Amino acid sequence: MLMLYQVIAIFLGIVAIILSILRFRDGKMSLGMLLAWIIIWLVVIVVALDPTLTNYLAIYTGLGRGLDFVLILGLLLSFYMIFKMYNKIETVEEELTDLVRELAIQRKTMGIDEYKDPEEDNAEKDQT
Amino acid sequence: MKTFVVVPAYNEEKTVQNVLEDLLKMGFDFVVVDDGSSDDTNKIVTRIIKEKQQGLLCKHLLNRGLGAAIKTGIEAALAQGADIIVTFDADGQHDPNDINTVIMPIIKKEADVAVGKRNFKEMPSSKKYGNQIMNFITLIFYGIRVNDSQSGLRAFNRKAAQSIIINARDYGVSSEIIGEVKRHQLKLEEVPMKTIYTDYTMKKGTNLYEGLKILTKLILNIFK
Repeated sequence: MLMLYQVIAIFLGIVAIILSILRFRDGKMSLGMLLAWIIIWLVVIVVALDPTLTNYLAIYTGLGRGLDFVLILGLLLSFYMIFKMYNKIETVEEELTDLVRELAIQRKTMGIDEYKDPEEDNAEKDQT
Repeated sequence: MKTFVVVPAYNEEKTVQNVLEDLLKMGFDFVVVDDGSSDDTNKIVTRIIKEKQQGLLCKHLLNRGLGAAIKTGIEAALAQGADIIVTFDADGQHDPNDINTVIMPIIKKEADVAVGKRNFKEMPSSKKYGNQIMNFITLIFYGIRVNDSQSGLRAFNRKAAQSIIINARDYGVSSEIIGEVKRHQLKLEEVPMKTIYTDYTMKKGTNLYEGLKILTKLILNIFK
């Protein structure tokens, strides 16, 4: 008999895997990331189906209880993901700044930013 | 010697006109970097450039912060063949006459980089503590003790402007420039300057909050 938390975890895992595959098909996720996510969510589903599995791992790593092992692993993984994301965002921000700078300098040399007086604009329109 | 004044401006429509007119009166060429302003800064600057047939405007399509704007300005000035590059705040806190003071050590070849130092005794206490913390942070992270690490008035010779690499995008840029001066073993001189405190200039720049923000950022960068 499945407990409610098991049903929720399995459901979440399946939805997450489907979403990952859809994102991959749209070209928004790399193959490596897709595989990594599928493995992570499969582990979640397997553990949800048979929670006693974690006990073996807990004994093996010396953490005592299976639940402790899962929680600690989850926390560590989350921190790692946040760290990766922070670095990624920082890189994207840097690239964005470089792009904005390059555009600013190019627009200046190409004279795109020449100021046009609204009145002059109207005068030009009147002539035509 | 060709001197270019770099003026980073973000929503400075109230002050930028006076600042640029002062610069032109004193015979300096300028590069304004409009850091994605949403007010009339861009319009005002283009009008002045058109009227006087002097000066340049670089427009950041998105707001990228003080450090990014300064870097754009320096690159543009270098491309124009500047021999001396001065950074000058657009909010009217600097006295344009201080430009001559700050470029003097460069002209005399006594220094590669000159920074105007504000008088901390005249500084309102809300700013003083923030700036003292920043001086201390600059000392810890970059190993160089200066009197005013957050000063916005700086002068570089061409060599210094080319070698300094700016990565900080926000107010952390001031400390980073000081750090770069040390890293490239450039000669630094601090010259006393005036600061004009108005209600307007008081709202901007380094206060305690900005100081703490920069500190967090510097600590995070260690772990990168």
